[in-house]
Amino acid sequence: MVRYPIPQWLMIVLALAGLTVAISVYGILSARLTATNPSQTSLPGIKGMLAGLKQITARQGTEEKPKESWLRQDTKASLLRLILGIAIGVFASIVVGVLMGSYLWIEAPLAPLISFMAKIPPTAMLPLYMVAFGTNIQLFIAMVALGIFFSMAMSVFQATRQDVTQEAIQKAYTLGASDMEVIFEIILPQIMPRILENIRLQIGPAMVFLIAAEALFADVGFGYRIRLESRLLRMNTVYWYLALLGCFGLLLDFLLLKLRKWLMPWFQG
Amino acid sequence: MDSLVIENVSHWFGETRVLNNIDLRIEAGQIVAVVGPSGCGKSTLLKAILGTHPTKAGTITADGIPITGPNRNVGMVYQHYSLYDFLTAEQNVALGLKLDETSLPYRWFALPWWLSKRQEHLTRAREYLKRVHLQDAAQRYPSGLSGGMRQRVAIAQAMILKPKILLLDEPFGALDEATREDLQMMLLQFYQENLKAKAEGRVPEYTMLFVTHELNEALYVADRVVGLSRFHTEGHLGATVVYDRPCPIFKPEDPRDFSRLLEQKEELRNAVFDPEYIKHHSEYVSFWDEIAEQAAKLAPN
Repeated sequence: MVRYPIPQWLMIVLALAGLTVAISVYGILSARLTATNPSQTSLPGIKGMLAGLKQITARQGTEEKPKESWLRQDTKASLLRLILGIAIGVFASIVVGVLMGSYLWIEAPLAPLISFMAKIPPTAMLPLYMVAFGTNIQLFIAMVALGIFFSMAMSVFQATRQDVTQEAIQKAYTLGASDMEVIFEIILPQIMPRILENIRLQIGPAMVFLIAAEALFADVGFGYRIRLESRLLRMNTVYWYLALLGCFGLLLDFLLLKLRKWLMPWFQG
Repeated sequence: MDSLVIENVSHWFGETRVLNNIDLRIEAGQIVAVVGPSGCGKSTLLKAILGTHPTKAGTITADGIPITGPNRNVGMVYQHYSLYDFLTAEQNVALGLKLDETSLPYRWFALPWWLSKRQEHLTRAREYLKRVHLQDAAQRYPSGLSGGMRQRVAIAQAMILKPKILLLDEPFGALDEATREDLQMMLLQFYQENLKAKAEGRVPEYTMLFVTHELNEALYVADRVVGLSRFHTEGHLGATVVYDRPCPIFKPEDPRDFSRLLEQKEELRNAVFDPEYIKHHSEYVSFWDEIAEQAAKLAPN
């Protein structure tokens, strides 16, 4: 029967089984490829993967001028770009979205423009950002921030319209609220769960935009390293980077869900 | 002392006239029921008093101050509660105190003072929750409350600011029968407090105007019934007040004996709801005359 419940232990067993199958399939493919071509690097085995791990965590530079490992350099660079980009994009889209949802004279000029911009694939805008910002950190921040801004501003705008009823706003005025109080005390808390949900959904696209921009224009960072290493066919380092990206995404997802449960116990999504 | 004065209020949407020359004066402490056929303009009138949709002609004043927009003098209770999901019951009730007595800059920049004031607000909110018999649900969010409980919170939320007049738009329309009876009795209790205040020479605290489609509820809860309809000689100009009379006063502990209401209910049905019965609009508008008569009778000589 569709949606028939199964016990919890079975869920866990099946989840582990899925993981085991995925790893086994990889192992079999890797072993078969190595049998025909012992020097292959497309599907490295355990030994190759460990070598890759060593490669990305090893200190770089010379004796006199030591540098941090690739992993540290890339994580620092990418994380800074991603966090600044998301922070700026999210903040701007909340401000613009809420104002558009609150005042018709702000919605009227901005809504058509923003919904048009939201339709352009953000990565297609990269050349524009490069012209505007060069290849400094601003380029990557602009790519991430503007990449999520247009679509997120529209969803915050929609949330302001749909989640906050006219009655809720009028009642606030009968309780002595000012315009600013309606925005800060009624609208913002009411749409906060939707904003957090949007941030969670935008992390994936934000990472796409960052990796794309880094692959093209950076000299350090996850996107740069993945592109460079795959060009050199050193897939044993590339796979580590991909796995780390996946884990990072899952972790953020988990943290944001926890944050919502903790900050907004009233919300039932 | 007049809590609400409506003078010559008319409203129309394009060619369609909805309200015509409405005059209504409500005194502090009255609980007024407004009834009328659906589409007669009850909600238009309510929105005009609330101030969200000003009428095309006439003036409305609450406590002498003309209404130019929704403000703290006119409270509102909606049929579907409209509580704030993100606030607990006590925070919902305390919201009015917070918005009315403090400002955003104060709360942001004078945080220590605000926090101590906040405690006082919550204490006052819990007192009001007690009045609507919800002291045990103070910490719960609206999603965890039943419909009747939510409406009690909404009433406490609106009353805590002591508005000059409290509007209730079909407040019990979405509730089951038993809950509705409970809440009706709660309003009767407030009316008793009004009478007590009047007897002691104080200004009564609760002035209410509620819209309902249940005639029994109107006559049972209110002390005055106002009927709005377009079945009068100038009906083509829009609905107006065609019925305005006092009605029997029940105490909360009185039996719900609706046979006492039968006669007036028949009269009301005839005067307000019968499209065949066209009369001059003032035929059943005699509230203030009847009050004056009663007062004359009670006078010592």
